Amino acid sequence: MKKRRILLASTLAVCIAALYFLQALLMPKYMDKTKEGALIGEYYDNAGNNDVVFIGDCEVYENFSPITLWEKYGITSYIRGSAQQLIWQSYYLMEETFRYETPKVMVFNVLSMKYDTPKSTGAQSQREAYNRMTLDGMRWSSSKWNAIMASMTEEEKKWEAQYSYLFPILRYHDRWSQLTKDDFTYWLHRDKVSDNGYLMQTGVKSVTGEYVERPLVDYSFGENSWYYLDKMVQLCKEKGTQLVLIKAPALSPIWWEQWDEQIAQYAEENELLYINMLDYQQEIGIDWSKDTYDAGLHLNVYGAEKASDWFGKILSQECGVADRRTDTQISALWAKKTQVYNDRKAALQTQQN
Amino acid sequence: MKKRIFITVLACLMLLFAGCQGNPATGGDNSNNQSQVSSYNFTYKETKITLHAPAEPIIKALGDPISYTESASCAFDGLDKSYYYGSFYLETYPKDGKDYVYGWYFKDDSVATEKGISIGATKEAVTKAYGNEGFNGSNAWVLKDGGGTLTIILDKDAVSSIQYAIVVE
Repeated sequence: MKKRRILLASTLAVCIAALYFLQALLMPKYMDKTKEGALIGEYYDNAGNNDVVFIGDCEVYENFSPITLWEKYGITSYIRGSAQQLIWQSYYLMEETFRYETPKVMVFNVLSMKYDTPKSTGAQSQREAYNRMTLDGMRWSSSKWNAIMASMTEEEKKWEAQYSYLFPILRYHDRWSQLTKDDFTYWLHRDKVSDNGYLMQTGVKSVTGEYVERPLVDYSFGENSWYYLDKMVQLCKEKGTQLVLIKAPALSPIWWEQWDEQIAQYAEENELLYINMLDYQQEIGIDWSKDTYDAGLHLNVYGAEKASDWFGKILSQECGVADRRTDTQISALWAKKTQVYNDRKAALQTQQN
Repeated sequence: MKKRIFITVLACLMLLFAGCQGNPATGGDNSNNQSQVSSYNFTYKETKITLHAPAEPIIKALGDPISYTESASCAFDGLDKSYYYGSFYLETYPKDGKDYVYGWYFKDDSVATEKGISIGATKEAVTKAYGNEGFNGSNAWVLKDGGGTLTIILDKDAVSSIQYAIVVE
């Protein structure tokens, strides 16, 4: 009887191990193309000792450089950004971050306030792909589960996709016919694609014209967006962390004046610092013919360094974030990070030329 | 005993293939509602524009735009493009390496809807042309036709924006 139990347990263990390795093989690696998908998972090796944590969409992971904040102000920071990260995902990422550390300042980019529900974000197929890039990288916790439940599209709800976020093999099992060399190279490990969450771009594509978008029927942010922003405010208050709202300097999508007014009013009512960096483009020194890699949607590394230098001054002087450069242990760690950053920058510049 | 092991292996395989949902989520285009056609169309200088139509021949026929902008998604290939022709903007979306008409919206009163409504028209004129169906009770009509929408926005009881777009689901 005992022998039978051991045999059954062994069989089960082998099955689970096989499924684990198979799942690791079949999941997208995001190492060569669509590197944005690897960002969320990179945080855990860098969790702790970050005085500032940025949360939000591409406007944080493309427009701010933690290395510049370190070099110029001795600020330790991390960017928990992901492609088209929605506000409910930002909230749960913030909640999860507090499990690992309690930064002095949380910076949230407010562009995602424009999306009130998963349906309002566009085509379901693309929405799901964005969801996967944010959620698959999160470690297991109630925050992840709640983020999944808040993020699923109507289509995903129909086939109860929450279980496929729990066991991604259920979603990716038919990738077996699309496996590439990368899937085997990165089967059980990943290279770092970011510098503390910053995804570097060295290309230059100048802004050619003014961005124009369709006027909206209603400029009011939705109830769901306000609900999650309220939760962020509450959470940061409970943790004693200062929440700073920013609108990063990017020309498209348009940040409507009516949106700006709503956030400014909300910030005033809740005694929050809100900075619309679009109002300070000249002061920051952004040159839209040189400092963007995609004609004004995001900054390249040269623009991101300028934006970080400008914003670092506010973090340092207005928010009182400490200069850690006198701490030898932290300095040694950041010296290594800076070296990796500089090497990456040089390599990308060489590729560019 | 063999039966138990067989059931265990079978359960693992069932778990693996449960919830099978077609293509994995490694990307996507910005419009997946290709099956529903819409009768909404717009003719400008003998060039007929319809929603979801291939953009290349239309853009060629319309000639050089006054201005042009493009925007990429956060992570995926392909560009959403916008062409300005003075009286209207034409927008396209990418799919499988080609561009298709996403929609258009008017900028002045030299162009009109198929029912003769142009920018500056009164609320009464819109009501007469389109009725109350689709009116949101305050400042806009949102009318659906198959895979397309027509949105007419009012500002102080006069039309300030007329927009056509595909329905994205």
